[in-house]
Amino acid sequence: MPRRQLLLRLQLLSNPLVLCGVRGVVSPLAGAIGFGEEDCHKITLALDEAITNVIRHAYGGNLGRPIVIQFHKLDGENGAKPGLEIILQDRGVEPKPDALKGLPPGELRSGGLGLHFMRQSMDAVVHTRVGSTNRLRMVKFIQ
Amino acid sequence: MQISARHLENTTIFDVTGDIDLANSPAVRKAFLSEIREKKIPRVIVNLQAVKYIDSSGIASLVEGLKASRDLKARFILFGLSKSAREVLQLSRLLKLFEIYENEEQALSAESV
Repeated sequence: MPRRQLLLRLQLLSNPLVLCGVRGVVSPLAGAIGFGEEDCHKITLALDEAITNVIRHAYGGNLGRPIVIQFHKLDGENGAKPGLEIILQDRGVEPKPDALKGLPPGELRSGGLGLHFMRQSMDAVVHTRVGSTNRLRMVKFIQ
Repeated sequence: MQISARHLENTTIFDVTGDIDLANSPAVRKAFLSEIREKKIPRVIVNLQAVKYIDSSGIASLVEGLKASRDLKARFILFGLSKSAREVLQLSRLLKLFEIYENEEQALSAESV
């Protein structure tokens, strides 16, 4: 397990208007850690999609509900890979197992792409339910 | 995000500026569907030159426009995709389903495929 260092903790309220603000934070943060431009975009997209899913599905589009995001720098010591760990927590409804499977891309369908984007963009995407809290852990390693 | 429309003969060109995400994709979708379904415009062209970021909800709006245009035998054309917008469409594996051109001149002069 790589050593992790908390860099930033964001406390948001569910509202689509916060998305642009979070994007404005995460991309430069990833760049400062050492990610290249393409990976910064992938991390930004994954987090944007994760927050979008919380707003739309966990909170059913309701505004003003809490979302907490923690950013940890993963140190590349003792053979561990350096990178970024993002933990996103909400107190919305638990996703149904089918929703976590995702839908295949490439079809003319106007939904279901968010989870696919997250999984394609990050090295790990793991959802757990702890009590009444949804916890999403996403990790991206520096190549 | 801002979206404005230019009307030519049998064609509407949408100029979109800014990021397309959950906050504004419903407005984008509404604008597309109004031209395609209500006004029955046979060719809708979307200028994405000034769109630096698009997420899955933005892609969903483009998909809605494409589906509605196919239903009505109309054309739905994109041009001016930024690198990141192209990457996201690539990630969705939908890139080949859209009619895409580099610039407005090519989009306007392209024959139906």
